[in-house]
Amino acid sequence: MITTDHIRNFSIIAHIDHGKSTLADRILEITGLVSDRDKRDQYLDKLELERERGITIKAQTVRIPYRAKDGKDYILNLIDTPGHVDFSYEVSRSLAACEGALLVVDASQGVEAQTLANVYLALDHDLEVIPVLNKIDLPSADPERVKKEIEEIIGLDCKDALAVSAKSGLNVDQVLERIITHLPAPKGDPQAPLKALIFDSWYDSYQGVVVLFRILEGSLRLGERIQICSTKDNFEVTKLGAFSPEPVEFKAMGPGEVGFLCAAMKELGDAPVGDTITKPDNPTPTPFPGFKKIQPMVFAGLYPVEPAEYETLKVALEKLHLNDAAFSYEPETSTALGFGFRCGFLGLLHIEIVQERLEREFEAKLITTAPSVIYKVTTHKGEEMSIDNPSRMPDPVLIAAVREPFVRMEIHVPNEYVGNVLKICEEKRGLQKDIRYLTSTRVTITYEMPFAEIMYDFFDKLKSGTRGYASLDYEIMDYREADLVKLDILINADPVDAFSVIVHRQNAAHIGRSLALKLKRSIPRQMFEVVIQAAIGKKIIAKERVAPFRKDVIAKCYGGDISRKRKLLEKQKEGKRRMRRMGNVEIPQEAFLAVLKAGDE
Amino acid sequence: MPRLYGEIPAPKAKKQAPAPKPAGRPILVYVHVPFCRSKCHYCAFHSQAFNQVTFAWYLKTLLAEIALWGHRLQHPRVTTLYFGGGTPSLFPLSALAQVMDALRANFAFEDGLEASIEANPDSACDVSFFRALLSFGFNRLSLGVQSFEDAHLALLGRPHNARQAVETFTLARQAGFGNVSLDLMYGLPGQRTNHWLEQLKSAVRLRPEHLSCYGLTPEPDTRLTRSLELGEFVLPEEREQSRMFVHGAEYLESEGYLHYEISNFARMGFACRHNQGYWQGRDYLGLGPSAVSTIGSRRFTNPRWMDAYDAAVRGNFAGLDFEELDAGTRLKELVLLSLRTVEGLDLKAYRKLAGRDLLKSEPALMQTLRQNDLIRVKKGRLSLTKTGMLVSNSIISRLI
Repeated sequence: MITTDHIRNFSIIAHIDHGKSTLADRILEITGLVSDRDKRDQYLDKLELERERGITIKAQTVRIPYRAKDGKDYILNLIDTPGHVDFSYEVSRSLAACEGALLVVDASQGVEAQTLANVYLALDHDLEVIPVLNKIDLPSADPERVKKEIEEIIGLDCKDALAVSAKSGLNVDQVLERIITHLPAPKGDPQAPLKALIFDSWYDSYQGVVVLFRILEGSLRLGERIQICSTKDNFEVTKLGAFSPEPVEFKAMGPGEVGFLCAAMKELGDAPVGDTITKPDNPTPTPFPGFKKIQPMVFAGLYPVEPAEYETLKVALEKLHLNDAAFSYEPETSTALGFGFRCGFLGLLHIEIVQERLEREFEAKLITTAPSVIYKVTTHKGEEMSIDNPSRMPDPVLIAAVREPFVRMEIHVPNEYVGNVLKICEEKRGLQKDIRYLTSTRVTITYEMPFAEIMYDFFDKLKSGTRGYASLDYEIMDYREADLVKLDILINADPVDAFSVIVHRQNAAHIGRSLALKLKRSIPRQMFEVVIQAAIGKKIIAKERVAPFRKDVIAKCYGGDISRKRKLLEKQKEGKRRMRRMGNVEIPQEAFLAVLKAGDE
Repeated sequence: MPRLYGEIPAPKAKKQAPAPKPAGRPILVYVHVPFCRSKCHYCAFHSQAFNQVTFAWYLKTLLAEIALWGHRLQHPRVTTLYFGGGTPSLFPLSALAQVMDALRANFAFEDGLEASIEANPDSACDVSFFRALLSFGFNRLSLGVQSFEDAHLALLGRPHNARQAVETFTLARQAGFGNVSLDLMYGLPGQRTNHWLEQLKSAVRLRPEHLSCYGLTPEPDTRLTRSLELGEFVLPEEREQSRMFVHGAEYLESEGYLHYEISNFARMGFACRHNQGYWQGRDYLGLGPSAVSTIGSRRFTNPRWMDAYDAAVRGNFAGLDFEELDAGTRLKELVLLSLRTVEGLDLKAYRKLAGRDLLKSEPALMQTLRQNDLIRVKKGRLSLTKTGMLVSNSIISRLI
């Protein structure tokens, strides 16, 4: 066991593309941990998806032995955190496992919103933050301006800010030295009862759940019995070690250390993120504060494209759930789409990630319905219910009140776009809370806004309204009552449950028109007219028609033609089998996607 | 076409499968004449340039094939006979007489046999030719007129002009043909509905007994399709084509022609029984290269090239390589063929074959189709309306 003086635990905070992964790669190389032979870009991002999208979904840790200029040997634990608003709870747990953080800022781009959110989170956890200006070798780099920006916006002293190029390796060695000299060593009494924070976990089909933890107090030995504080479940540690970056096993670990353990846990729920590990014979009286169970916030239906692939999809969801505690699923049936699943997610990015993983890793072909938040409905009889599927909304006459989740949102934007952002937020029923000029050109706009409004074309609008310069961060606040109605889509007078959405009454007409138009454009002409209507209850608020096609006929069919023509018609029939039939209208999958992407033209 | 020349020795017959058994009713006989003076630009049928050597070879093989089938099917009764092509009117009269004699000798022609022959205005231009056809027993003539507009005929690559077409019709009448059909095409490049109606008026002025009106269909690997792909012509748009179909049919009906099949119109009593036989699912025997037969539950196609056709006939294995039509396929064909006709589908016959009631098994679809005036159900039969016929592929593909 190593003494705490020689340990430094840190994470890297950076906006996407500001060079976090490149810096991590460089640190691994300089310390000799990864040889050239094993080198690959963005070493820490294990999932194919993470590497491709440049975002980290799961936390990673790497134990880096480092001999400093003072001649002493240190252990640096780099804890790489997920980097998206959908995963802010995981981020906060990862930060809680560190004493300090590197704030990596692109020396030409300056501070971005996502960075800010995580810096504030780090400061909330009393982390020591070391500013690092990256991409200093680019001609557009303006380190003085960016330093000033960091000082003004975050209030960090940038007098000694490091200027590096993670790409070329310039000054990266100074980063390591600065970690040793500036970050505090962890504290903790090795004799105290065990108190270790779980900051991530995943499922491995050979070892069960692998838990990433940070020991705060006490020590842990291989083969000891441990207890999970929230559940009081006991397990025996069968494997103990750290990633360096390949797994290295230890007999025992002490305070300040970061590592992994396996303990024959069968599901992620056995080791929830944010929970505390202790020992059943001598439990800690003070588990790590702030533990909360992760709850999915956004729901969508996932349906197999081919009804016969229901079982395949089910197996894929089961596997996915093993590794993603924030993702939930349960069977549901839709009249339009048949048998499928109602799935819960943390946010829109999470939906996309799950969808892509299902399609890529499990080769499941999916139809995804429009995402919905959870609404809380109170009936006149005083019943309370949670609605995560718009088609399950009770009849309006039974409803006394509907409440919806609100988020507090911070949007960071150059000042010339403030007008556009305010307009978009007002359209989205946002309540303005604050406009702060961080510098003369950078503004933070704070709004409280219905979460559901983010589901519906908000990001696209924000992006086009600010030419991509806005960044944002949000957190769920509370539930508030609102005048919400269910908007149904009828195709040739038959309601299609999978198209139903819950909207605010004042936006219903607008959204109804937009949905009807989208559908009109994605439903191919059929042999009869298709009428698409948007309705609230019995009231039709928008209507579009798809004109029928006029001619689809074989001119000649005599003795020599029959087999060929029959095969032609069989093929035509086969082509239609891939469509969903509602009423007698054939609806291609694209129509479901079109609704999902329902934005303005 | 090098493969046309030189006989190849007849291979040994394959293991003999029993000959197909006709359903007992008289059969239809089709004779394919694969010769043309020139290739029309829209045509994807099998035909070749006429020459004496190839024709002699064809004639010899055809006569052998007639004898073969007369023997195999045990002198079957024949209710209709149809010479199509190609251009049957290119047939030298003496040879045609030989073929008709051979057919009479090997098959039992029923009383009231309908015997049709196709003729082109360019190859049948004197009255004695038509008199000879009548003397051989032909009693129905189908003239490939296609258009009364020379510019359109040139565009289609037809080797005749409009005046020749009218003259040929007149000659046939003079010779004594009392049942003449004209083939016309609509939806030609640049054509409008009014122009099509003018064409029909020109046809009706001649008072033919029968009219076949085909929408021009670009077939793969034809000169027309290539021209369209190159943008040399543009076909009328779908809406215009559908107007031609509906207004043309209404006009012909007002002139006393019954719209009895998607592309066919006839004055009372003059519907083509041979073609009706196809749509009713009757057994038919196709003779000549590339001809298709359906006998009992077997469908087979003669080889397309003379050498292979000749080998198949001499080797006595014509018709042995067949497609077996199972009950499901027969049912599909019943639906697809009968819905082309004005009588439509016999729902009782359908129920018997399918073991289910079509109307009851798809109530919502039937209701929608009726509401949109695409089908009608009357006296136990389901048939397509004119607009239904126009989208018949979509309807049929939902029902099969």
